[in-house]
Amino acid sequence: MIETLLTPLQYDYMLKAILVSGVIGTVCAFLSCFVTLKGWSLMGDALSHAVVPGVAVAHYVGWPFAVGAFLTGLLAAAGMGFVKMKTPLREDAVIGVVFTAFFAFGLFLISVHPSEVDLRAIVFGNILGISDADIVQMLAISVLTLGVLGLKWRDLLLLCFDATQARALGLSATRLHALLLALLAATAVAALQAVGAVLVVAMLVTPGATAYLLTDRFGRMIGLATAMGAGASMLGAYASYFFDGSTGGCIVTLQSAMFVVAWIFAPKHGVRASRMRARFASEGEGT
Amino acid sequence: MSRVLEPLQYPFMVDAMIVGAAVGAVCAVLSCYLVLKGWSLMGDAVSHAVLPGIVGAYAIGVPLALGAFASGLLCAVLTGYVKANSRVKEDTAMGVVFTGLFALGLVMFTKVPSDLHLDHILFGNILGLEEGDLRNTLITAGATLAVVLGLRRDLLLFCFDPGHARTIGLPTQRLYYLLLSLLAVTIVVSLQAVGVILVIAMLVTPGCIGYLWSDRFGRMMAIATGSAIGASVLGVYASFFLNASTGACIVLLEALMFAVALVTSRKRGLRRNRRTATATIAKA
Repeated sequence: MIETLLTPLQYDYMLKAILVSGVIGTVCAFLSCFVTLKGWSLMGDALSHAVVPGVAVAHYVGWPFAVGAFLTGLLAAAGMGFVKMKTPLREDAVIGVVFTAFFAFGLFLISVHPSEVDLRAIVFGNILGISDADIVQMLAISVLTLGVLGLKWRDLLLLCFDATQARALGLSATRLHALLLALLAATAVAALQAVGAVLVVAMLVTPGATAYLLTDRFGRMIGLATAMGAGASMLGAYASYFFDGSTGGCIVTLQSAMFVVAWIFAPKHGVRASRMRARFASEGEGT
Repeated sequence: MSRVLEPLQYPFMVDAMIVGAAVGAVCAVLSCYLVLKGWSLMGDAVSHAVLPGIVGAYAIGVPLALGAFASGLLCAVLTGYVKANSRVKEDTAMGVVFTGLFALGLVMFTKVPSDLHLDHILFGNILGLEEGDLRNTLITAGATLAVVLGLRRDLLLFCFDPGHARTIGLPTQRLYYLLLSLLAVTIVVSLQAVGVILVIAMLVTPGCIGYLWSDRFGRMMAIATGSAIGASVLGVYASFFLNASTGACIVLLEALMFAVALVTSRKRGLRRNRRTATATIAKA
């Protein structure tokens, strides 16, 4: 039994995958606190899909994949901003139109030259087969993102909670908005390898949402989210050894399970706690 | 000339065009409501959430469409429940629920031995329609269209102003679930054509095109439907020559039409602003 459980750890590629997933999970979880507060889930989903054509193009011109992916992510964000400014359409519809166009373009490119880029690796991630060059790219993105977040988190927090107040304090809301978008795109690129384009959004939403149920203080929320994000990612990568390599599926299933547990049992904001509060309240009225 | 007509000589191409047009029409009609109601993320969520249903249905031998429909609806209901019973925002609840279900589907997929093709579920397989697919698609699409058009006014009022709809005695709760069910059915029908990931484009883009070109709902619907049918037929046709993914071709054509609508629309910020400015000057 123990032996079976330890088998994955004997392989170099498994150890690598577990460590890299842990790092990505941490960065994504940090950012997810802002995404949940700002209500940007659809944006996270959109950017993670929009990076796909960049991966294909970067492959054809011989750039590092992260550069191409990041550029198309930014291009998509700019496109959304442009269309939103020019039309009376709702924001969610604009996001939907733009990101699907980008994803379709990526799919189109890949289907025209099928042998060169592995579509499955983009859509589902391929952390078990990650190359050393890709690891370097991802660690660089992660360190950079964490650094910027560490320096700017107070400003970003104010932007997410109260953009007007941020503006009143003399912060440039537009610039912070752009910064948050850029960070989101960068993180989406890093997470692409671990869980794939479709499930990146889970890494960018679920840890933050779970932590939000557990605490009222933002500092503690970040701590909890990163711990859970890192834990779930490492455990998921480990577990994927037993699930035919569906790493993204395992990581996200674990994160969702954590959310469900927090949702039911959270001390203050859980379903059980509010039921009990409601019962006490009605008993109090009765006596 | 014969080269231009070549795709039409293959029965599978003709079938694909018919199915594409039918799916495009249903999606376009529904997209008008989704765009007005701000339900784009809902379409995205439900379309991803069908995966565990498909795998589960395969495992226990139920028709796949039934499983897909059930888990798509489950996603929407769960989202509503989580939102009502916790302090997370709706978009967050939706993000958590649909990715959780999709991930679960992926994990189940590795454990359930099946001859399902994940690629076909994700990206569609309209050129490989099987016996009966054409008929089933047409029947389901026709039924969905009939329901939407039959309840056109009620749904429209529900999307524009739920409060008013409730005041005049419409069953808004029931309309909410009806719209959700219609969405789920449409997504299940469209899976064949464009797959899970790009369905959302067919459910948003045509409505946006219609909205940019018209202020009247009836006309918006007609424009949306026309552009979607055109994009589907042309997309299937173009994919034959380009040897590219059919779903991607359809969605790219819709995006192209959106770009044209964006440039030519009278609602476009630039042109409208200029006109009001001229009007103000004229008045002065």
